[in-house]
Amino acid sequence: MTTEDEALDWVIRLRDPGFEDWEAFGAWMAGDPARAEAYHALAIAEEDLGEMLPAETAPVVVPSIADAARLRHGRRTTRRLWLGGALAASVAALVGSNMLDHRGGDISVATAPGERRSVALADGSRMILNGNTVVRLDSADPRMATLDRGEVLFEIRHDEKNPFRVSVGGDQLLDVGTAFNVVHEHGVTAVQVSEGAVMYNPDSDAVRLDAGKSLRVAGDQAVVGSVVPGDVAAWRDGRLISDGQTMAEVAAHLSRYTGERVSATAEVANRPFRGVLSLGTREDIAALGPILGVAVHRTPKGWELAAR
Amino acid sequence: MAESGLEAILMQNRGALLRFIAAHGGGEEAEDILQELWMRVRANPPTKPIAQPLSYLYRAANNLMLDRYRSAKQAAKRDSDWSDSAVTEPGRSDEPSTERGLIAREQLDIAQSELDALGERTAQIFRRHRIDGVAQRDIAQELGISISTVESDLRRAYRAMIDLRRRFDEV
Repeated sequence: MTTEDEALDWVIRLRDPGFEDWEAFGAWMAGDPARAEAYHALAIAEEDLGEMLPAETAPVVVPSIADAARLRHGRRTTRRLWLGGALAASVAALVGSNMLDHRGGDISVATAPGERRSVALADGSRMILNGNTVVRLDSADPRMATLDRGEVLFEIRHDEKNPFRVSVGGDQLLDVGTAFNVVHEHGVTAVQVSEGAVMYNPDSDAVRLDAGKSLRVAGDQAVVGSVVPGDVAAWRDGRLISDGQTMAEVAAHLSRYTGERVSATAEVANRPFRGVLSLGTREDIAALGPILGVAVHRTPKGWELAAR
Repeated sequence: MAESGLEAILMQNRGALLRFIAAHGGGEEAEDILQELWMRVRANPPTKPIAQPLSYLYRAANNLMLDRYRSAKQAAKRDSDWSDSAVTEPGRSDEPSTERGLIAREQLDIAQSELDALGERTAQIFRRHRIDGVAQRDIAQELGISISTVESDLRRAYRAMIDLRRRFDEV
């Protein structure tokens, strides 16, 4: 490799937010004054790329909305096509912007219904937000997140001395080396652990949830269950897996994921559902009736799951 | 991290930081530059918590060295512009701002199409890295491709974009 090529590699490597190899970079430059010169010239030109690039990538096109729009324009998509789209879209959806909204000291990260977003944290941990979700980060404590609403997959870089904590609906989750999914909606909190373990309310209940365990907290009742680790956060690839969740929760999940407004009537709201849903378009929501065992009505406000 | 905490890290790693500055071509001025670095960090304390304070200081030192290089280059350019302008009309260098805006938009369009010409995947990886500031490792994971693919795509894209930038600057 020429000095120029080597310098370009350093320019690229140094752009990584987590770059730490400063000693090696310094040693490389120290080897020959021409190297620092080549690096400087390239790095300056690289900095100036900003002038000819957009400030942020194009907004994420959420699969459900894109497909819904296409349907409105009279073009029908086959289910198979959509499934391909869903996989591509779940990748595209993660390719969102990482914009953080600073508000009053606390940092708030939010997604719109149907939007998904991946947020890298300073310590190398990552949060992947499903739609209609609000998470607050504490600028004074980088190892703390508060889930106000919605669903997040936490992929936490474990640090025994400084464990990551998630505050949700008044409960605490403490990571023990972890990837876990948390949903909080209508007063119900659901946790599913795919890797490592999570401690639920370490200071009071101290319930340990290992990989493959789930927890459902509604009111003052907390129930531990099981989950297939590979099914945790299946929403990331367009699957909604329900293991006895109520129709109201399924409706909330559908709304969050697709961006369509879906609700359950009082009559069916508490009915449990077990099964796998794969969906994204309006057409798909209408077609869910037989799978869910309910009637699906189009209403002026959105979709309604009702008794048959 | 509190300011005093950063200062302690700076003091502990003084030697390493001085060596880094010297390698950058800071040579005999390294001590002064380190002082300048500390003034800078104090004047603009980090707004977010810092996971890796030493890395933060290295980054700040690197930026400082790039700024010094940039101003040295600009000073040299001013000198040569000055001698050029002695034989051309005075005041010509100030283009109307609308024209400059137009040029910026044109450059944006050209950059977009050059980037797209590299292929969809390469363009996407580059945008993700350069515009969204996502780490190579995370891009590889997101797109389900190997890190070496990300590396080689980035090399091609950065090369093309930097070459384009240089062409724009020559005009």
